[in-house]
Amino acid sequence: MQKTILFARNYGILVVTVLLLVLLTVTTEGFLTERNLRNILDQQSGVLIAASFMTMAIITGNFDISVGAVYVTAPLVALFVENATGNIPLAVLAGLAAGVAMGVINGLAVTKLKVHSFIATLSTSFMFFGVGYLVSDRAVMRPITEGWRALARTRIFELTSATWIAIGVTIVAAILLTRTRFGRNVYASGANREAARLAGVNVDRVQMITFVLLASAAALAGVLGASRAISAQPSDDFSFIFAVLTAVIVGGTSIAGGSGAIWRTVTAVFFLAFLTNGFNLHQIDPIWQRLIQGFVILVAVSIDAWSQRRGG
Amino acid sequence: MVQTHDILLTLSGVGKSFGGTVALTDIDLTVETGKVHAFVGENGAGKSTLGKLIVGVHSLSEGRMEVDGTEVSFTSPAQALDHGLAGISQELSLMPQRTVLDNIALGREVMRGPFINARATRRGVEAVMERYAMHVDPDARVGDLPIVEQQKVEILRALSRDARLIVFDEPTARLPSDQVAPLLALVRSLADAGKAVIYVSHFLEEILEATDTVTILRNGRHIRTGPTANETHDSLVEGVTGSVLGEQYPEVAAPDRAAPPVISVTGLSRPGVFENVSFDIHPGEIVGLAGLVGSGRSEIARAILGADPSRGKITFNGREISGSIAARLAGGMAMIPENRREQGLMMGRPIVENVTLPHLSRFSGALGLDRRRERAAADAHCAATEMKYASLNDHADALSGGNQQKILFARTTLGDPALLIADEPTRGVDVGAKRSIYDLIAGLAKQGKAILLISSEIEEILGLSHRVLVVSRGRIAGELEGAALTETALMTAAFSGT
Repeated sequence: MQKTILFARNYGILVVTVLLLVLLTVTTEGFLTERNLRNILDQQSGVLIAASFMTMAIITGNFDISVGAVYVTAPLVALFVENATGNIPLAVLAGLAAGVAMGVINGLAVTKLKVHSFIATLSTSFMFFGVGYLVSDRAVMRPITEGWRALARTRIFELTSATWIAIGVTIVAAILLTRTRFGRNVYASGANREAARLAGVNVDRVQMITFVLLASAAALAGVLGASRAISAQPSDDFSFIFAVLTAVIVGGTSIAGGSGAIWRTVTAVFFLAFLTNGFNLHQIDPIWQRLIQGFVILVAVSIDAWSQRRGG
Repeated sequence: MVQTHDILLTLSGVGKSFGGTVALTDIDLTVETGKVHAFVGENGAGKSTLGKLIVGVHSLSEGRMEVDGTEVSFTSPAQALDHGLAGISQELSLMPQRTVLDNIALGREVMRGPFINARATRRGVEAVMERYAMHVDPDARVGDLPIVEQQKVEILRALSRDARLIVFDEPTARLPSDQVAPLLALVRSLADAGKAVIYVSHFLEEILEATDTVTILRNGRHIRTGPTANETHDSLVEGVTGSVLGEQYPEVAAPDRAAPPVISVTGLSRPGVFENVSFDIHPGEIVGLAGLVGSGRSEIARAILGADPSRGKITFNGREISGSIAARLAGGMAMIPENRREQGLMMGRPIVENVTLPHLSRFSGALGLDRRRERAAADAHCAATEMKYASLNDHADALSGGNQQKILFARTTLGDPALLIADEPTRGVDVGAKRSIYDLIAGLAKQGKAILLISSEIEEILGLSHRVLVVSRGRIAGELEGAALTETALMTAAFSGT
């Protein structure tokens, strides 16, 4: 029994994802095709990039709501530079720099002003959305170069460049978290902040770095999204952050901090993507999709809560 | 008042297992009203589990439990409370943000229609305080009260629900030594008021002093139950450990006073907390830092590590230091903090990560962490502390208190420090594990480490230290050594400034 619970806690998300995969393969014709799977990968690239580093931030015990705003605003900054100079590398760098700057602001608000990360990043969200409106002058921005669309859409070995970038970023994040001293300090900061501090971990610096990495990742995701859409527009759209948070939480990363893993988040991203894909292939009414999706998330999270309670 | 002792609770053939682990087996005993009944045993002996079975935190795996001769079975503490069985746990279950009144009245508020009748509720709570002569300011915020007062609040909460049997689970484990006597008096007064009291503890002195009946548990088995008056310290130790106790403290070799001090603290101050603290510790020397809780002992230790700001001069290994905690640890300091749960360990992380946390740089290379080398080192140092664990991947909270403390010792020895600050190193640790922790400390001193030992247990300070500094109200009120180092001298100094 104890073993079962432990297994469910560690690999539950993997098991249900595989079950879903099998189910969809059996019940639909279009699911297990190269084209469909390639599309899923490409569509999820942005969420994967941000969710990997969101996992890290949540393991330190912090939330970052502003990821949605960074995702909207960073590509506007990038396109602003692209429009002004026509230089794509410079534009991408500007977008990433905007991400870094926004991450630093979040980090300072949490470590220096000592505001709870949820509140701090909710506040900075509005600031960052505002910056987006300022930079774009409240209009849809389009690239002036032909090369802009190639950022996310270049095909390399059948997969899009966005997919390759997402794979690369996810692997880097996973290595950082599991194979380095920094990763251990991330877990320690979330597992017991005071104990980590007394053990010589610079907890503020660890938190700051996670915020900066996360905002940079969100900026990268935003730039790739704007490349795929060949445009970007200012908005107050929080939907990206919810997609990212849902994946991390369904993946079983504890919102209390101190535990979680990137492979679980990645699995959860695919679980959620398969779910949506399956709905579409089965032509389920979008209204019902919402209801079922919400229910499935609740079930996933309560299984996690149950196994934590029983096993703990 | 003539006391009548009625049998309130009967356990027959009671057992409890968690998963495949048997925690208790075949327990038969009775608990009477008007008596204080001790459950004693080492950590992991099952004494806390037995207490928790009685108050419904766990449910029985086998056997039967009777209250007033009627069989009961509980699946929640609320059901036990309905039968008058209440528990006061190690971790208090109060709402620290709310007032004493709110905490005691929770769920028992006097209602007027859908609204709370505040005045009648308050009267009810005050009546309970009056009846048991236990007074706590009803409007104080519970979080602002000292632990002993918080325990009172929890007891009052049980009493206001007409509890007839109260289980205290290690109530003094988190108490400063000067608060123990008042708590024991409180426990006695409950028995005198006709309540049955179960007192779960591994502090043998307290049991001998404050209880009427004692039940000894070892490895989940019932060893014996009898009047406390028939037991002695040695007989209890023998019952608890199953072996005759040798010397309680290890031999500590004389330090090398001719060698330059490992650490020299000069004029260390933190306004409002401690002032003008100066002392040296030589290689191989164990210096005790004694004093009442709140005297500034732990704060001095934290300042030396750099965890709190301070003024003054600290010379360590011949060099003046002022840097971050990380720099001081790297320079050869180590600390075992006062509270291992809150300040020492990551309870939900594997043992290996807990051991190596401050020392990761030595396992890091261009390719990141060398996890194989890390594990090997952690394994070696855990083994050297005689820690009992199944796997280095087990979480810290899977271990008993003594073994958790050994994680911190393994962390210390892995760092091979020049100075160890050990703050309450045996708090919440059972008799057998205590001795092995003393051996670890003495062993480090023998290797030439300087040790600053902080403890609320005077015996421990006297038994291990070469020299003792007594802190009172943030000042060094006395330095005792050799023949002058006695309990009386120590206590006199400790109370001198108050």
